[in-house]
Amino acid sequence: MNNVIMSAKGISKSYQRGSEQVHALREVDFSIKAGEFVSIVGPSGSGKSTLLHLLGLLETPSSGKIQIDGREMRGLKEPDLVKTRRGSIGFVFQQFLLLPTLTVRENIELPLLFSKRTARPGRIAEVMDLLGLSARSNHLPHQLSGGEMQRVSIGRSLINEPRIIMADEPTGNLDSATSEKIFTLFKKLNAGGLSLIIVTHNTELAGMATRVVKLRDGGIVAG
Amino acid sequence: MNIFSLATKNLLRRRVRTGLTVAGVAIAIAVLFSLLSFNAGYERQLSGELGSLGIHMLAVPKGCPYEAASLIIHGGVIPKYLSYSDLEQVAKIDGIEIASPMLLHQFFKDDKPHIVYGINIEEQKELKPWWKIEGRYFNEDEPGVMIVGRGLAEKENLKVGQVLEFGPDEVPTTIVGILERTGNQDDEFHFLPLAATQRIFGKEGQLTTVAIKARDVSRIAEIAKKLEEIADIQVVTMTQVMGTIMNLVGSAQALLFSVIIIALFISAVGIMNTLIMSVNERTREFGMMKAVGASGGDVSRLIIIETLIITLIGCGVGLIVALLGSKLVESFVRGVIPYSPTGELISIDPSLVFICIGFALAIGLLCSIYPAVKCARLTPMEAMRSDLE
Repeated sequence: MNNVIMSAKGISKSYQRGSEQVHALREVDFSIKAGEFVSIVGPSGSGKSTLLHLLGLLETPSSGKIQIDGREMRGLKEPDLVKTRRGSIGFVFQQFLLLPTLTVRENIELPLLFSKRTARPGRIAEVMDLLGLSARSNHLPHQLSGGEMQRVSIGRSLINEPRIIMADEPTGNLDSATSEKIFTLFKKLNAGGLSLIIVTHNTELAGMATRVVKLRDGGIVAG
Repeated sequence: MNIFSLATKNLLRRRVRTGLTVAGVAIAIAVLFSLLSFNAGYERQLSGELGSLGIHMLAVPKGCPYEAASLIIHGGVIPKYLSYSDLEQVAKIDGIEIASPMLLHQFFKDDKPHIVYGINIEEQKELKPWWKIEGRYFNEDEPGVMIVGRGLAEKENLKVGQVLEFGPDEVPTTIVGILERTGNQDDEFHFLPLAATQRIFGKEGQLTTVAIKARDVSRIAEIAKKLEEIADIQVVTMTQVMGTIMNLVGSAQALLFSVIIIALFISAVGIMNTLIMSVNERTREFGMMKAVGASGGDVSRLIIIETLIITLIGCGVGLIVALLGSKLVESFVRGVIPYSPTGELISIDPSLVFICIGFALAIGLLCSIYPAVKCARLTPMEAMRSDLE
């Protein structure tokens, strides 16, 4: 539990919005150890999603360093970043972002298409079973409830067997009962040894994590 | 699941838009294929028609415009004539194997033009050894007889032995033979002995042209030069005829090709517009794909494959439409251009199919490169936040 799998040192992110320079994140230090479940909370505009996107290599920091498994990410070319995203990180989005013409099974399999590898035997069934989606295998997204769609999105993030799952407001579009079920699922995944970083508005649910990090105005104020 | 099935499913999401884009490509390819086929077929038929004359050059009256002289082979009538002394001078030139005099006359029956060729039958049989006849040929000085082309016979329901009243004086003339189908302009003509034609139409001693066959094709230029020295004669070689006719139809062809280019341009712009719209709408999806492990190349490949599927299906549909509609295009084009050889003008050549497929692929690639490159360069979050422009 002591080995750090991901760390950020002094990372900042600024955007240009019209003539205005927006500092979304200011010199943040962050790390997560293997098997840790971290919730990031904070008001809107505090920079929590930006932090998650930077850690997930979905965009590049304006300054600062990010290391994954001790490897410096700054300066890496796109193919190396893609490789790291494929191998180490699974991403879950608030809006699910499922492809509407693909079935539940195909949506879950989608990352395998890009990683050009086949899942180990039984992996897809294992993931669907874990998420309680086996009976929905051939359904299309529009035939699913919000909770089911988010579970498909989680399945998609798990299929490549990443070391860490990052979720950006995963319950933002769900009712409270379903949100709790999703967090229970995250707890279950964490109990299986998976590291998780979850960004949420819901402080109650955030409390289910092993560590809560609070952000305000682009900086960490607690955790 | 593979990238092709993913691309196909993406396309099926917006069936109407995909269908309309396919239709746009299909129309462009159908027009391109039809016009290229027509161009190839026209030149081949024209060349075949000139070859089927069995002659190397025509001696025509001086001052006769090339265009008119060129149209003689298709039954065009010119208002100037050669004399028998011109014929004698032509026949004396060394290197000429056959110098066959002809008188052409055109008359109208039921508002339809009919072409009469006054010929020396024995010389024509030598020039056109492929002629075969139902019935018999007429003799050189036989009065009141004629042979007709197969196409004309079928159109007018003419039979061997039938007697027609011919010319301004309605001279009874018996059809003694009907030519077997030649596939060229001869199928549409009346052929009479030269002297009889001159008599019937009041052109005694007058000739429209002298068809010349050289003994040796390498001497055509030399013979043409000698012919030009005869005061009343100008020479049109078959190469010149071909060139003149191609020039005549050139302007019509230029117009048609302009139409194609505009059609193709509009189609390409339409495809690009559809594609960019489709990519714009799905930018967030592409961002998601990148977030779950797709590289810029994977996203580009998906966009390019989607476009190629559209253009290749459009190409296939366009080719089928062009093949099914070739007769329609042929009749339309015949109405537009000033000179059409007989026979099928649309030539379906496999190489043209490959040209059209190549063209469709080129359009597809051209239209997909911009959105594909643009999308590939975005970071996952840029893609999820923004729209392409």
